[in-house]
Amino acid sequence: MKLRMQITKENGIRFVSHLEYMRTIERAMRRAKLPIAYSKGFNPHMKFSLASALGVGITSQAELLEIELVKDIELKAVLQNLAEALPLGIHVKAADVVDSKTPKLMASVAGADYYVQVPCTKDCLEQLHSFNTAASVLFQKPIPKGRGKTKEIEVKKFITQVTGNFINNNLELKFSCKITPTGSMKATELLKILRDQFAVPIVVEQADIERTDLYAVNAKGAKKALIGKSNFI
Amino acid sequence: MRKKISLDILSTVEKPARYTGMEFGSIIKTQEETEVAIALAFPDIYEVGMSYLGFKILYHILNLQAGVAAERTYAPWVDMEAKMREHALPLTSLETMKPLQEFDFVGFTLQYELSYSNILNMLDLGGITMLAAERGEEDPFIIAGGPCVFNPEPLADFIDFFIVGEGEEVMVEVMNLYKEWKKAGKPDGRSEFLRQVVKISGIYVPSFYEVEYLSAANKDVPMGCIKEVKPLNEIAPAIVQKRIVKDLNTIDFPTKPIVPYGEIVHDRIMLEIFRGCSRGCRFCHAGMVYRPVRERKPEVLKELARQSIDNTGYNEISLVSLSTADYSCLEPLIHDLIGEFKDDKVSVSLPSLRIDSFSVGLAKEVQAVRKSGLTFAPEAGSQRMRDVINKGVTEEDLMSAVGAAFANGWSHVKLYFMIGLPGETDEDILAIANLAKAVQGKYKEVTGKGGAKVTVSVSSFVPKPYTPFQWVGQNSLAEINRKQMLLKDALKIKNVTYQYHDSVTSVIEGVFARGDRRLGKALYLAWQRGAKFDGWSEHFSYENWLKAISDAGLDKDFYATRERAQGEVFPWEHIQPGISRAFLWNEYQKSKSGELTGDCRNGDCVGCGACPTLEAKIIDWKSNAL
Repeated sequence: MKLRMQITKENGIRFVSHLEYMRTIERAMRRAKLPIAYSKGFNPHMKFSLASALGVGITSQAELLEIELVKDIELKAVLQNLAEALPLGIHVKAADVVDSKTPKLMASVAGADYYVQVPCTKDCLEQLHSFNTAASVLFQKPIPKGRGKTKEIEVKKFITQVTGNFINNNLELKFSCKITPTGSMKATELLKILRDQFAVPIVVEQADIERTDLYAVNAKGAKKALIGKSNFI
Repeated sequence: MRKKISLDILSTVEKPARYTGMEFGSIIKTQEETEVAIALAFPDIYEVGMSYLGFKILYHILNLQAGVAAERTYAPWVDMEAKMREHALPLTSLETMKPLQEFDFVGFTLQYELSYSNILNMLDLGGITMLAAERGEEDPFIIAGGPCVFNPEPLADFIDFFIVGEGEEVMVEVMNLYKEWKKAGKPDGRSEFLRQVVKISGIYVPSFYEVEYLSAANKDVPMGCIKEVKPLNEIAPAIVQKRIVKDLNTIDFPTKPIVPYGEIVHDRIMLEIFRGCSRGCRFCHAGMVYRPVRERKPEVLKELARQSIDNTGYNEISLVSLSTADYSCLEPLIHDLIGEFKDDKVSVSLPSLRIDSFSVGLAKEVQAVRKSGLTFAPEAGSQRMRDVINKGVTEEDLMSAVGAAFANGWSHVKLYFMIGLPGETDEDILAIANLAKAVQGKYKEVTGKGGAKVTVSVSSFVPKPYTPFQWVGQNSLAEINRKQMLLKDALKIKNVTYQYHDSVTSVIEGVFARGDRRLGKALYLAWQRGAKFDGWSEHFSYENWLKAISDAGLDKDFYATRERAQGEVFPWEHIQPGISRAFLWNEYQKSKSGELTGDCRNGDCVGCGACPTLEAKIIDWKSNAL
């Protein structure tokens, strides 16, 4: 059987990298003595995966984790052990048991929601409107390990709408970003686009970014939860 | 005033998680729970400091005490330091993010001389008055301990008091005393606390001593050497003897160490199997100052290992000590640990190997999978030199060890050597190259093919206090450079890689290793002019150090290259690890004729003085069981 969990990455540990976050979870699972399956071979690896890598510096309420287990377990006991084994800054928000045939999380995840708060010197709702009504927005996305090379992507394929709110010199943004098998976009990339192409006067490094949800979509394109809501803790 | 490090700062520095804490196992006490707060300060970056076992032990022991909050702080890397200075952010602890200035104690560990500039930098970043003599009632007590405490004199101006020896017991005594003094309303201020704390055995208060220097040569002891070190009051002891834990089985060991998020240098369980080493290598500081040998019981170790793995989720245990292969019950211990953790996917590792086939056999057992290179430390190339340093290893030993390694599938060995040893000739240097060739020949002999990779790593010898070579003049920079090049030419051999250290750092290390308190001024000047992270060659500026030393009116050669007289009073002799001067002198004389001294662990007492002076004894479980 497989165990799915929705866990957090909170403010105090937001600068832990994806790899470090993975290793932290792995050690927590060892501490909790979960009966986790290992890969075969000389250098056995724990069989678990996260739905989608989160950028360094971003908090999350909705990291999705999938673990393969070698034997059936009682969810309640596992969660109790795990709660004690996790460091400050990671909490389990929901857990669910799925059968081994369920498609992998990574293959199912199709979108992420973000919430951003960033200091801003003026009300930029008009600029956001321009983004929302633009038919096409292009962005030179750096190629990973591409030594400064970029490839041009169509932003609107991933992010169609950004809603905004301006209070006390703070700009609040909410948007959904598609995750496809061939790629996605980072929240900071959208902020750079708003800054550079839509004249939104923000310092990207000052943005407090949170991932609020990760989900699949159904045939009609509507959000579909990847973890049973009944199992929220 | 507490300022938070903002998002935009953290998102623009390298590895920001170094500065944010919240790791599993970190202990955060509330203000109500805290009567005395101490920051354990490691004068290097997080990844290095977090790997240091001594602070894992003290963090655990101190936090076990009711009312004591022990927290951690590390040197910020240069990018972060620049941001902190730009935004006037003080250096804080990781637990409560409290500026160092607000602690009751800031305790530094002295791991190596080249970290001293970082200590000054951390004091400055922490908002603490730099000179001990100028500190006020609001400043914390700045304390220090660790291996370099056996010559703390270059730091005398900056440290309020030193902890000499092993800290488990004495640190708790200091904390208890402070609690009482604080409860009583801190009567008579800082100076009174110093007068009380000096009564605890193992505490050295440098301001309680006066150093007098020779104004003219006294027989063969030149002018400028120490005439006398005198206590300035009746409570300061003439000799500060080191503290030790007599039986390691009776004290707590941290089985729930902090598990970091990011990868640190030693990212595994470090299980300390014994303290001390009595092999008696004449260059080795640790081998002299940590005596006597005291082992933990195998049963205790197995229990500690199990708890540590369960508590941390680590999948590797390293059996650490000064010479792990010398643990009396090593083979059964390793077997038991491997059996115990078979189903938990936990591996056991050895930090160092002795040069014999027994060690190679163990290495094979513990790393059945990974066939990365094996490392041996013959230390010197010729038999004559190995006898001078009392290494107790022959070329046959090395050949049988590498032969066993090659027979077991290894094809890469790394060999550690030192150059600049006392009495060394060019033939001794060239013998290093011959040894590398012989190792390659052994591979051919064992496997029938060529192509063994040999890495020859060479460091420059720095004479250290409380070793038989404390009288020796260090090789000059020019001489070390010449020897490095001589060896470089001789090692132009296929599949041999030659690595050597930056020779200029050894000069400054040598000056501070055997320096006196006059060097405080040079350290201060060098720091003011930008010295920091001197152990990182990209940050080390030899010119800056030379200028600072000469601007302080001092001469580097007086400290480093000068052969010292038999009767000379050394700056460190009022701080004692229990090793007698007569023993060290005798060892030095024996080195000149290449005469060996045995290991007292299972042989005759060699008369170093440690056991009687410290009222301790060797604890070795194999011989105890007999």
